[in-house]
Amino acid sequence: MQILKNKTNIDFISKRKPALFLSTLLNLAIIVGIAAFGFNFGVDFAGGTVVEVKFDHPVTAQEVRERAEKGGLPDVSVQNIGAADENTFLIRMGGVTQLNEESGAKGKEALEALGGVRNVYSDLANGIIRFRSEQPMDAAAVTKAVESAGIGVQEVRDLGEAQGGTGYDYQVVASGMADRVVAALGAGLEKPDFEQRRVDYVGPQVGKQLRNRGIMALLYSMVAILIYVAFRFDFKFGPGALVAMVHDVIMVSGYYLVSRREFNLTAIAALLTVVGYSVNDTIVIYDRIREDMAKFKGKPFAEVINIAINDTLGRTILTSGTTALSLIGLLIFGVGEIFDFAMAMLVGIVVGVYSTIYIASPLTIWLDERAAAKEARLRASGNVDHQQPNAA
Amino acid sequence: MDRGWWWKFGLIVAVTLGSIWFLIPTYYSLVVLDRDQRNNLAVLEERMPSWAPPAKYRLNLGLDLQGGIHMVMRVDTKTALQKRTERRAQQIVNYVNDKKLGEVTADTDPEKLEVTLTAKDPATMDAIQKEVLATFTDFKEVSRSGAALTLVQDESQANVFRTEAVDQAMLVIRRRIDKWGVAEVDVRKLGSDSIQISLPGRSNPEQAKELVGTTAQLEFRMVDDSNPQFFAQLLQATPPPEGSDITLTTEGGFPQLQAPTREAIISYTQDKVPENRVVLTECIANPVKKNECTSYRSYLLDRNVPLTGESLAGADANISQLNEPEVNISFDPAGAREFERLTEAGVGRRMAIVLDDNVQTAPNINEKISGGSARITMGRMGGRTFEEWLGEAQTLALVLKAGALPAPVTVGEIRQVGASLGDELIRKGGLAAVLGLGLVVLFMALYYKASGLIADIALLLNGLLILAGLAFFNATLTLPGIAGFVLTLGVAVDANVLINERIREELGHGKSARAAVDQGYDRAFWTIFDSHVTALISAFILFFTGTGPVRGFATTLIIGLLASLFTSITVTRVIMTYFVHGRNAKVVSV
Repeated sequence: MQILKNKTNIDFISKRKPALFLSTLLNLAIIVGIAAFGFNFGVDFAGGTVVEVKFDHPVTAQEVRERAEKGGLPDVSVQNIGAADENTFLIRMGGVTQLNEESGAKGKEALEALGGVRNVYSDLANGIIRFRSEQPMDAAAVTKAVESAGIGVQEVRDLGEAQGGTGYDYQVVASGMADRVVAALGAGLEKPDFEQRRVDYVGPQVGKQLRNRGIMALLYSMVAILIYVAFRFDFKFGPGALVAMVHDVIMVSGYYLVSRREFNLTAIAALLTVVGYSVNDTIVIYDRIREDMAKFKGKPFAEVINIAINDTLGRTILTSGTTALSLIGLLIFGVGEIFDFAMAMLVGIVVGVYSTIYIASPLTIWLDERAAAKEARLRASGNVDHQQPNAA
Repeated sequence: MDRGWWWKFGLIVAVTLGSIWFLIPTYYSLVVLDRDQRNNLAVLEERMPSWAPPAKYRLNLGLDLQGGIHMVMRVDTKTALQKRTERRAQQIVNYVNDKKLGEVTADTDPEKLEVTLTAKDPATMDAIQKEVLATFTDFKEVSRSGAALTLVQDESQANVFRTEAVDQAMLVIRRRIDKWGVAEVDVRKLGSDSIQISLPGRSNPEQAKELVGTTAQLEFRMVDDSNPQFFAQLLQATPPPEGSDITLTTEGGFPQLQAPTREAIISYTQDKVPENRVVLTECIANPVKKNECTSYRSYLLDRNVPLTGESLAGADANISQLNEPEVNISFDPAGAREFERLTEAGVGRRMAIVLDDNVQTAPNINEKISGGSARITMGRMGGRTFEEWLGEAQTLALVLKAGALPAPVTVGEIRQVGASLGDELIRKGGLAAVLGLGLVVLFMALYYKASGLIADIALLLNGLLILAGLAFFNATLTLPGIAGFVLTLGVAVDANVLINERIREELGHGKSARAAVDQGYDRAFWTIFDSHVTALISAFILFFTGTGPVRGFATTLIIGLLASLFTSITVTRVIMTYFVHGRNAKVVSV
């Protein structure tokens, strides 16, 4: 069996300018889109709480939402995941703990009403209210006051007397959102008709840290690959590979942007894998271009590239085809982020092939032409240098 | 067939058999053993044949696949450091007053961790400055204007303190979880200020958060030795319930109850002690596994707590002049006064040091201790090595500090997966992997015929190698790991496609079967090498920057890429060479 029966001779290179124009336009649109709308950050990066619940009878997302609202959770997003008959939902809330700006202000009032309390400070990031009191306080009284403001209390910490005798320090630790979800959904029921299957809870500071690390990982790997390509190939191949990588990352980001699927740690893993895959593909064709450059010494560079692309076209289709094939299982059985991972990879495979042909190679031609033009200028100005413009 | 071929063939057979051998513990833990025994290494070791690899070399299932809680706790080193600065400032003031250098007041800036000393008489400041800077070496001068001297904590000292705070928090968390009785718990440091905790099989994140998130409580309580035979009499009067395994032991000079669990002692003695007395237990550490208790021993203590960790200023392990390990502790002025009163009244009695309701040690009071500092000697060396002896002193010092310097711990991240969800994910993930692999295998066989079948053999061996590699590194298989597994197989196929396409091309140029195969492999080699190296670069960066599931993905990818280099280049070539060189095949089925 053979996919391409006869040797192809498609003139890829002549269409490089419109392709480059189109790609640039699309990339810019995605970047503007990200700046304007932003990603749908998952709980990994945005911080917050996600609870996955599975009901033992059919319910709709709308019913779940209504129940949550009735139980006193107005700002939740409910999303159906898995097959419709699985009755499984993701309930997402912005808050990590029950302490937020609004309830924190109420809590402050309630604490100050106890008398002798000052320096009340709500540490929203850690879900802690700190305060100093003139007299030692009773933990139960503090708990009661804070709970009256609608904040669940996990613990009241007694930090002891402040140095210099200016008062006693306390911390009130607010309890998490997952508690509230279960309470809200189960309100009025004798026995809950659902199972809490998963809880993800990420503090905002950790979220920020995870996000920064993810972005750094992407940048580091691009630079490392660039160094490797520059070392293994001629320098003029490097920028093409890099721009192709960036192009692919932006395009796959576009998938997350347009589909509004959750952008989280798995998405970063997908982007990194796409980087690896994209450069993998680019390098296979670069290898062939280098080989053909030695073979067809007299031919113009652009033509050599066209031959190399055509020669490897069968392999390109096959390889991307089999990789896509191996993803089919994940697309069918993968739930949630694994499905997204497979989908992002699929997009990455397609744009990876495209960028190798229409981004990496044309850029290499352009760099080569510029080098040739520079040489021509030098020669014209009398600074004769007998070097072949296409010598590698 | 030349010698080199046989050598390579032998290597491949050895690698294949070795991989299968290495997967025996994994097979037993996931397939043969019952689900709740899955993580029990002792049972696993027992059930496996004697020639199997050690049980610890098994493929772990990540918490996302087996259910459990993954938490990241952040140690609030900032608050701890602020507290420390305030405490040190007070110590400086006391020092200056005690030495009669002059009279100063201290003001601390919690944000910048600065201490400003103001002298009543500006003329004394020069002497104070010299003395304070020479004594409190963890501070350095920031500015001086007249009677005001501003000091700041030395950054390197502050860093040592931060590291210590995290280590202390880790110690406390581990002890608390031990108390909870969770098997296979994993507590480790993450970054500079976080602690990662894995609790397989647990399902209540709020309870876990409560357990590890509270600060440690250190107390000093007097041991009630007014009736040394108390426990012996108790045991005689009311025999313990059947099966509680409570026995009497007189190790350490006093009769004590000993039982394998803490609960046994606590529930047995409940309501049987005099008023104002309480029974607490001491953990008798497992000599092999430091964080496990083999049994617990009872103590009868005064109910009231005269002194807590709040009064403790510091604790350090030292080696004494007699070349014995000891722990030096010091109290703040109020604590020192209370400690003096206690030791004066309690000469000859024992004082228990209690952390989170666990008796750590109960040294005898030999004399009244004044001046705010005391020495705890570590008893006789017994059967211990000197390192172990010293290690115990260091642990005690750490425990004392953990109680004395509470660094608040907050929850950074909690991920909980229910067991039923884990099972479902394993099933779906496995199906996805089998389907993906099956489709690729089928396609290769159809498309490349015999060469495709050879590639398929390499592919299956690749899968085997990945699993064995993960087992060898004692890695954890996560859901993203399964995705990495599938993806690696896709990339491995690419190598075989490259080779086969080259062979086809060479055949198209009219080369003989032998020449086509040899040249196909030679020419494809560098392309395959380059593409694998670049993929490895991104996989390694993913490994070093990622955490949790992402790391699992990267591990799978790295092992898979290395395996793919081996299988696609060496394994398929050996088989191909066998056919075209050994069997002298004239055509290549590709």
